[in-house]
Amino acid sequence: MKASRHWCVALIMIAGAAFVPSCTAHETRPAYLEIKEISPDHYDVVWRTPVNAGMRLPIVLQLPPEAKSVTAPTTQELTDSLLERRSIVVAGGLGGKRVDFVGLQGTITDVLVRVQLIDGRSWSTIVRPSQAWIDITPNQGRLGVAGTYVAHGIRHILFGPDHLLFVLGLLLIVKNRWMLLKTITAFTVAHSITLAIATLGYANAPTLPLNAAIALSILFLGPEIVKVWRGESSFTIRHPWVVAFAFGLLHGFGFASALTSAGLPSNELPWALLSFNVGVEIGQVGFVILILLLERAFRVLEIRWPRVVEALPGYAVGSLGAFWTIQRVAILAGVMR
Amino acid sequence: MYDGLLHFLLSPEDIVPVVALALLAGLRGPEYGRRALFLLPVSWFVGCFLGTMFQWATSWPVAAISFLIFGGLVAANAQLSLRAMTVLAGLLGLVHGWMNGAGVPWSFSLVGAYAGLVAGVFVVVALVSAFVIRLRPPWTRIAVRVAGSWIVATGLLLLGWSARRG
Amino acid sequence: MKRPVCGLLARWLPLAVAALCFSQSAEAHVQKGEAIGFLTGLRHPVSGLDHVLAMVSVGLWGAQLGAPAVWVLPVAFPMVMALGGMMGLMGIPLPGTEYGIAASMILLGAVVFFELKPPLWVAGSLVAFFAIFHGHAHGTELPPGQNGLLYSMGFVCATGLLHGVGILIGLVHRWTWGQMFLRLAGAFTASMGVFFVWKAFA
Repeated sequence: MKASRHWCVALIMIAGAAFVPSCTAHETRPAYLEIKEISPDHYDVVWRTPVNAGMRLPIVLQLPPEAKSVTAPTTQELTDSLLERRSIVVAGGLGGKRVDFVGLQGTITDVLVRVQLIDGRSWSTIVRPSQAWIDITPNQGRLGVAGTYVAHGIRHILFGPDHLLFVLGLLLIVKNRWMLLKTITAFTVAHSITLAIATLGYANAPTLPLNAAIALSILFLGPEIVKVWRGESSFTIRHPWVVAFAFGLLHGFGFASALTSAGLPSNELPWALLSFNVGVEIGQVGFVILILLLERAFRVLEIRWPRVVEALPGYAVGSLGAFWTIQRVAILAGVMR
Repeated sequence: MYDGLLHFLLSPEDIVPVVALALLAGLRGPEYGRRALFLLPVSWFVGCFLGTMFQWATSWPVAAISFLIFGGLVAANAQLSLRAMTVLAGLLGLVHGWMNGAGVPWSFSLVGAYAGLVAGVFVVVALVSAFVIRLRPPWTRIAVRVAGSWIVATGLLLLGWSARRG
Repeated sequence: MKRPVCGLLARWLPLAVAALCFSQSAEAHVQKGEAIGFLTGLRHPVSGLDHVLAMVSVGLWGAQLGAPAVWVLPVAFPMVMALGGMMGLMGIPLPGTEYGIAASMILLGAVVFFELKPPLWVAGSLVAFFAIFHGHAHGTELPPGQNGLLYSMGFVCATGLLHGVGILIGLVHRWTWGQMFLRLAGAFTASMGVFFVWKAFA
């Protein structure tokens, strides 16, 4: 009876998780912007907006005011989109300037942006209606690079629910402060190692299997949390730091792919790597502190949770892990796009 | 989800009354803290949907009024009954949630945004009220009341701004 | 007394750091002028010597007066000051604000110098009366294009922190040399007030 109820909770959570991505997926095709620096301060711009049922999406590309067109923009009508090419000169370069997508806020379209600069940096990013612009990061000094990549690291860990969920799972397993310290340190050391190895190009993990494996690591923690909750024991519960280290190696590869896809300055690579890792640590420690504070706050407020609610975090970790595993394996197998 | 959370954390006109309510509940003790913790997010969530549904926003300076009421109660260290607190928390959530919801066009991703917003409310109330409950030395409780008076002062100035604009 | 202060620091420091980090990210996210509003508000009261001295004196006086006054004054002052600010914003004129502020410096400096201990309501109303002038003069100077709410928050916080500085300095009141020091500080404030009056007339 009891077991069946737990299955119910798990099923509901999987169903809920299946719902989540449909919130973020849009049915319209994205717009596309490509900026390529061909010589200093001289850029080629390709701007494609989708056309839906003969209607062009009302998005206007607004380059910084310093941008001067070298050649008149040429427009080309394709079946489903409008292609606009132009060549611009920006006094002082695009670095540190902002490209706006006027009108994007009113749509549900995303813009894929690809930037390639002459100093060797290139990156792709997605601009969403909630923040309808991109800031081109300038070719900064050391401090600027550090700032940019620390912020990038923080953003990556806080906005990547899979890493946070794994950390949450670890938090639910560890019993005392000493063990917490050991576990989090092990996770940090492990992902720092693989992040460095992968970013410096000594090793490489293919993205799709990697994502599936990361999902699997989260799924793995689910049953362990339930065991803790039932008062049982296992190797993971006795030595969570070993598990944290092993899976930390995996997550490090994940961080590395995020870092490289963000574009790396080839001349400041180690420095950017270090800053990114520091940012990841800041985000991670901040999350751990927030969870511990919340837990303490609940005790101060003398909240007595119903048993179902107490079990919820464990099931959330397990169910989302299961969902992502299935989804990513399906993508890997080519069943899903 | 993150949009909602960020929006809340970057909107002082929403976060300050929430903090004020949490301070008030914290001064009164765990029972009040629990009530605020569970009631406020729920009423806020409901308010969001009502606002989105009716698409109507009052021109009243809602934020300033909330600042005055909740800041004033904190500064006065008001000995509210649990029932009065319940009503106040419910109203605060409904009204501010409504203001958040009004003017936002309906879309499916809104559910996620509102969930993020409400999660932010929940976390702020939990942390702030527990922090105040844990305060032991008497002068620290006075510091909480001073914070309440700052909120009132900000509310008064805000009222002045809206009078000037209006 | 030292320990709770340390404890307070330990408790609030992470918060303050978080707030600082946060304000940076806020700056990037919110429209630029808005987030700067808070900093402008925070900076504004600190930039005028008259305002700073009067605020700190309120704290000093509170510390001299002891138990209830030390917190009644800082609770009352921001509220009444905001009332003055609101009057200013609504366009209700207040005659002679310049003189009112200078007079507040002279009087507050003088009471600190003589270590006067009137009943609480007298002290409260004296402080409140001058608070209106300070609010009227300073609360309304919002640079265009900035967020009024954030400016007000910054303004109120800075004022409150100045009181806090006054109270912290006032802690030396327990020693005889400290009492002497406070009185000297009062004398300095009062003489600065005289200087401001002279400047206003000249």
